[in-house]
Amino acid sequence: MSAAPEPVQAADLLTVEEITVRFASKAGELVAVEGASFSLRHGETLGLVGESGCGKSTLARCIAGLLPPDSGRILLHGSDVTRARARSDRRMVQIVFQDPYSSLNPRLSVRSTLKELLAVHGLARGAAAERRCRELMALVGLPAGALDGYPNAFSGGQRQRIAVARALAVEPEVIVADEPTSALDVSVQATILALFESLRSQLGLGIVMISHNLAAIRHLCDRIAVMYLGRIVELGDRSEIFGDPRHPYTLALLAASPRIRQAAGGARVRLSGEPPSPARKPSGCHFHPRCPRAEDRCSIESPLLAVASDSHALVACHFRDERHTG
Amino acid sequence: MIPREGRSGRGSTRSRPDETTGAGAPAGLALAVEGLTVSVQRQDGRHVAVDDVSFEVVGGSAFGLVGESGSGKSLTLRALISLLPPPARVEGGSVFLHGRRLPPAGRQARRARRGEMAMIFQDSLSALNPVQGIGGQIAEAPQRLLGLSRRRAWDRAIELLRLVGIPDPASTAHAYPHQISGGMRQRVAIAIALSTEPSVLLCDEPTTALDVTVQAQILDLLDDLRRRLDLAIVFVSHDLAVIRQLCDETAVMYTGRLVETGPSASVLAEPIHPYTRGLLAAIVDLDDPVGAPTPIPGSLPDIERLPPGCTFHPRCFLATAECAATVPELAPAAGVAENHRSACIHRDRLVHA
Repeated sequence: MSAAPEPVQAADLLTVEEITVRFASKAGELVAVEGASFSLRHGETLGLVGESGCGKSTLARCIAGLLPPDSGRILLHGSDVTRARARSDRRMVQIVFQDPYSSLNPRLSVRSTLKELLAVHGLARGAAAERRCRELMALVGLPAGALDGYPNAFSGGQRQRIAVARALAVEPEVIVADEPTSALDVSVQATILALFESLRSQLGLGIVMISHNLAAIRHLCDRIAVMYLGRIVELGDRSEIFGDPRHPYTLALLAASPRIRQAAGGARVRLSGEPPSPARKPSGCHFHPRCPRAEDRCSIESPLLAVASDSHALVACHFRDERHTG
Repeated sequence: MIPREGRSGRGSTRSRPDETTGAGAPAGLALAVEGLTVSVQRQDGRHVAVDDVSFEVVGGSAFGLVGESGSGKSLTLRALISLLPPPARVEGGSVFLHGRRLPPAGRQARRARRGEMAMIFQDSLSALNPVQGIGGQIAEAPQRLLGLSRRRAWDRAIELLRLVGIPDPASTAHAYPHQISGGMRQRVAIAIALSTEPSVLLCDEPTTALDVTVQAQILDLLDDLRRRLDLAIVFVSHDLAVIRQLCDETAVMYTGRLVETGPSASVLAEPIHPYTRGLLAAIVDLDDPVGAPTPIPGSLPDIERLPPGCTFHPRCFLATAECAATVPELAPAAGVAENHRSACIHRDRLVHA
């Protein structure tokens, strides 16, 4: 079913080729990610969006090297790191989790957390490590005095900054951020989004941003991959995904997002039902039972992720060439 | 659904003159809250967490209460339904249901609300009994409170499941909570809440844990139900866009005080309180990808150390010396909707600004 993987280009920092992840469950085998492919360049932010169970977090864990895929390849600067990562390769990709309350060790001060990392990776010791700690605090917008604090002394937004500082400590080239603002208050989310924006522009990091918040994704990401039940169903530039969405699921996600400038009761397209369990995926195009555009062939034939006409976006829909207005 | 008149006993207490508000609540006013004040016990004493909150909700309409965590919005809801957790206590104020003043706390208070007010929560899984079939859970209250027979209560459960959009209600009634999806569980929680035909439905972030396409369905369902059943909905959320979608009126809460109230279209489009303005500027707007969000400087103060005067003044771009001296009252401003009020002494400077 899968698309031809994009050819590996010299400029690609991270290449994900045909990644498939299977889990054994009571209900039988569950395919969490089915042949996902994309690439990421320096200074680029890629958004992964989709609803719970779509495989976006599983894919993030594969990229970060926390979960080996069952098939497919992950390349960093063109070299294969799918099976084993040297310590230097592990440093290159760092992950920031949703919940800064549970991802930091409560018994370690911020300084100890950072210094331990610097020592383990042989990056800095003694006075150099202290200098680096202060530099990291400045990078994430915290005062140097924060180094003496323990995680419980900080607010959610500050903790997320500490989690980012920890990720940056080992000088990564790719940051994978799994719902980094979801656990934060509305007025704080903006500061964390701005932090990621500055990391991309100041340090030229490649960022993979996972979120269910389409507004945040639109604000931050150059390219967006929309996932449904383990498959990437649409992959394109921001302008394509938001301005000329082609997959009916992308359209439905956009229609379902509540809008601050739109009153209730407008004519909205609603999807019926809910995403089925990944253990019981529908045949053919997994989206067909909920799809307003579905025809008979959709339940039989899996659409390829292929370029749509008049667009650069890759769309996994038999009707990818149909344009939707509004 | 069973008509409201068909209920036993309790309905008649509504017209008892000694319990009726002197102000003469207008017809259709399902819920009126006057000066509700809640305190919370901390190590060094009691602190006010909900401060003199007043609002009214007409049957068939939805009232949105928006604020950040710690603003007191959930405590307000729990005080309304008399389910405050132990360190919190109602200090003053009145709650009127169809013009009838409700006892503030204790067993009497809960009895007075039973069947009349219902609440749904963010986490529907923990709101349901995992070892009882969902039909039985819905039938329980009609059996106990409305005096329906087992048979009729079961029929009513199935009817309610149909009302909240559960496919194949007769067989789903036999399912257990873990066998149905998150969105379906929230529908079941709504069915339980509606099982005694309440006139007021309190919603505490009921869609926050749901996926966006399912959230849209639940919001549509609540919107439909309030019209069909003449329900007064109080909807608490941190999400301004969700509030905008469902609620006719919006109140913005900060450190336990209502700082801005009025029609949602007016409050969320032309806010006249700097905090509301700050909240709107801090969120990313799906329809405005270019505009960069601006965070509000500083952070929400703890109720143990509230700033004097307007509690927002240390974070406010408009603050003057006077702001630290006086607590501003909710008041209207010229040039915006008549019932659009702001608790800011500089409100007039924000009109059309």
